[in-house]
Amino acid sequence: MERTHISPYTNHQTTSKEQSIHTYTDSGGGETCPDEDKWASRLLRQCAQAISEKDSAKINHLLWMLNELSSPYGDCDQKLAYYFLQALFCKATESGQRCYKTLVSVADKSHCFDSARKLILKFQEVSPWTTFGHVASNGAILEAFDGETKLHIIDISNTLCTQWPTLLEALATRSDETPSLKLTVVVTASLVSSVMKEITQRMEKFARLMGVPFEIKVINGSNIPLGDLTKEELGVKEDEAVAVNCIGALKRVEVEERGDVIRLFSSLKPRVVTIVEEEADFTSSRSDFMKCFEDCLRYYTLYFEMLEDSFTPTSNERLMLERECSRSIIRVLSCDDKQNIGSGDCERREKGNQWCERLKEVFSIVGFSDDVVDDVKALLRRYRTGWSLVNDQTNPNTDSGIYLAWKDESVVWASAWKP
Amino acid sequence: MTTDLDNSSAVNESTVSGEASISSPGNQTAAPPEKPVKRKRNLAGMPDPDAEVIALSPTTLMATNRFVCEICNKGFQRDQNLQLHRRGHNLPWKLKQRTSKEIRKRVYVCPEPSCVHHDPSRALGDLTGIKKHFCRKHGEKKWKCDQCSKKYAVQSDWKAHLKICGTREYKCDCGTLFSRRDSFITHRAFCDALAVETAKSQPEDEDPKPQSVESTPQSTSTASPPTPPPPPPPTATPTPPVTSSVLCIAKSPDLPEISTSNQDSRPVLDNSPPIVVAAVSGSCSGSCTSTNTGSTNSSVFASLFASSTASKILHPQTQPQPQTIGFKDLIRSMNQSTTQTPDLTLPSSSQEPISLCLSTNQGSSIFRTAGPELRQYAPPPQPTMSATALLQKAAQMGASASGASLLRGYGLDGGRLDDSDVGGGGGGGGGGATIGLGLGVGYDGRSGLEELMMGTPSVYGPKHATLDFLGLGMAAGGGTTNGLSALMTSIGGSLDVTRAVSSFGRGGGGGGEFTGKDMGKQ
Repeated sequence: MERTHISPYTNHQTTSKEQSIHTYTDSGGGETCPDEDKWASRLLRQCAQAISEKDSAKINHLLWMLNELSSPYGDCDQKLAYYFLQALFCKATESGQRCYKTLVSVADKSHCFDSARKLILKFQEVSPWTTFGHVASNGAILEAFDGETKLHIIDISNTLCTQWPTLLEALATRSDETPSLKLTVVVTASLVSSVMKEITQRMEKFARLMGVPFEIKVINGSNIPLGDLTKEELGVKEDEAVAVNCIGALKRVEVEERGDVIRLFSSLKPRVVTIVEEEADFTSSRSDFMKCFEDCLRYYTLYFEMLEDSFTPTSNERLMLERECSRSIIRVLSCDDKQNIGSGDCERREKGNQWCERLKEVFSIVGFSDDVVDDVKALLRRYRTGWSLVNDQTNPNTDSGIYLAWKDESVVWASAWKP
Repeated sequence: MTTDLDNSSAVNESTVSGEASISSPGNQTAAPPEKPVKRKRNLAGMPDPDAEVIALSPTTLMATNRFVCEICNKGFQRDQNLQLHRRGHNLPWKLKQRTSKEIRKRVYVCPEPSCVHHDPSRALGDLTGIKKHFCRKHGEKKWKCDQCSKKYAVQSDWKAHLKICGTREYKCDCGTLFSRRDSFITHRAFCDALAVETAKSQPEDEDPKPQSVESTPQSTSTASPPTPPPPPPPTATPTPPVTSSVLCIAKSPDLPEISTSNQDSRPVLDNSPPIVVAAVSGSCSGSCTSTNTGSTNSSVFASLFASSTASKILHPQTQPQPQTIGFKDLIRSMNQSTTQTPDLTLPSSSQEPISLCLSTNQGSSIFRTAGPELRQYAPPPQPTMSATALLQKAAQMGASASGASLLRGYGLDGGRLDDSDVGGGGGGGGGGATIGLGLGVGYDGRSGLEELMMGTPSVYGPKHATLDFLGLGMAAGGGTTNGLSALMTSIGGSLDVTRAVSSFGRGGGGGGEFTGKDMGKQ
């Protein structure tokens, strides 16, 4: 499809041949020469550069080449090339918005409870990417709720409540009286809302099984700004101990509204606020395409490599996760933020230290206890090698949460806060 | 023995309830006498009234080893023990002579005022027992497993855990194996084995005549209370029975009621809408036949549903009939050799099919739909029984699938059940209609099993009941074609129901004991 829009380059054949040869050499020797960029990164970077320079001849040439080389079913490089090419093409043709909507509606069509469940459970089985945040947050929440009997968790995350069974089990085995738990799930992803009915039924059932008095309520927050929710809508009562749990939720809030959301959290007078975000910065570089592209490429390269290491090559779940990425990449690189205000799917991630800056205006950070850190470490030991727990390297002296690192690169940040 | 103390009360309680439930089915009014064996256990936490009650402060209780050997610094809690130890060093030693009059028996209460064992009437019989109890239930869990980060308050529990940590697998009814507890837990919550199929349940809700079988707890087997459980405080008003989710034993007016008198007296614990308890073993594979519901009086039935790999004793010849379905009363004892189930098998059972009309087809059944009252059964409040322990226990059983499950004795051959007649069994396979297990609920076959499994929400009020559920479900995961060695007696036939019942009670009790022990070890 790309080629039809692009005038063929006169010497494209030669170029492509050379490039192909070069490529194969590169990918073959990629592991032995770590300094040398992977071919996909190099070509993508050149292409992005050409786009930012509006060099249409070069753009066409590079897009054409990428199109020849990429595949969603190939190795990591080919996949990266494929999905980034899609985004760059959209950027070059200013069709990002349309493409994004198409991809979302396609995903929506095939989305169902079974597939969503299978996907998330499988992902959690092979990678601590999401479970890391769950264990850290649950640890902090349980400690903050110690001795409380009426618990209320405002859960703003889109992980299908997979965080809660272990917490329910922990509550059930608490040595003192089993508390009651009210779970208010604010769904901000439209894809997730369609399966929440099934999820709530399962949560209720499981809570009964565990003997924990339980109430679950789902609030569809995908079409209203999160910061506009009120205490009443969230059902927060005076006698409840409240926790706010945000897993990958803040990044979905429009950048300008993030302060409001944090102030909303504060108004709930929570015992604890747990924030988990993936470690990438697509926000500070919003107006600098190349800079944003660089971090996007860095982040997704890590992510794709992680998927490659975690899943079998033919895993369907992996393909689904990669497609999820492809939507995000297009969203970040080729969509105009202003056209998507209020869509609830902002992809402007920030890094842990950036979130810290925002959160520190209202909250103070709560360090994870040794017990929680031990739990997280125990969790990581159960996965393949390559995962580790690190503290913020940039400010070793101040507590700023913990990071999940994949091959020594921080990828997910978890933190706990109190008013 | 001491390790069991914590759970003993639970065990006892469930036993009682099991018996109570047993007594009620059919025309029987008299509850089977408690077995002596059970009695013994029941005594734990129910001390001799003449015993001297010792209340130690937490500090004293936790003070270890006040008496120290000057040679090796080994400490002892009692002087006598030190004296005996000194003997080993060839030091002078002296044991206090017992006074001529026999020392009064001592019992110990837990220093924690909110604890059930704080009450002298629930004091525990030995010092070590109360110490461990206090540590486990009210102490800091300072022993942590490096591998799985599970924490223990008692060092010996921790050591016991270290030996087995990572060595077992958790198996879900759906067949998936897990080596990690957390992923197992998450999976359980999401697995269809625990889920109610909404599509099915909804139509049922509208069914004016819901017939549900209340499956009782297997909890009997896992936690059997020795003493009649105190009626749970009424916390909620019973919700109108939802047919779909609640499995009640349906009683037809003219048939003997199955529900025990106890039921009526119990306050309703759960006000939440009935949800299918069955959750545990579920529709997932479709092969799971076992179901367990919380502890209710009608525990007998619960056992019926549990599938086990145990012997199949169903008689093919029994034909499912709307009203009378042949049950075989085999209470096959739990395979735990330790459990005492001498009379498990009823002689009559193997010889000729006894028809027990458990099945409910539209009003004909013995059991009428138990409305709210049935649900009321909430298991007696119990000191926190470790959910983890039960989960693990269950998992263990699942793992060791073939032989050892608690449920073993009571299998239900789901596959054989005729769907139409036996709603309950239908889920399993629905294939051949040869054996009618009357337990089925009236509705259409396939969903029936799930319905059974679902049980009433109220059933699970108490933790242990629900947990048991889980445990059962897991155990059930075993096989589809397991023998049904349920205890079926014909009601109309006036067969020896009592016997069956009592044996069931024993079986249940045994199971409870086993569980208790196991948990104690952990």
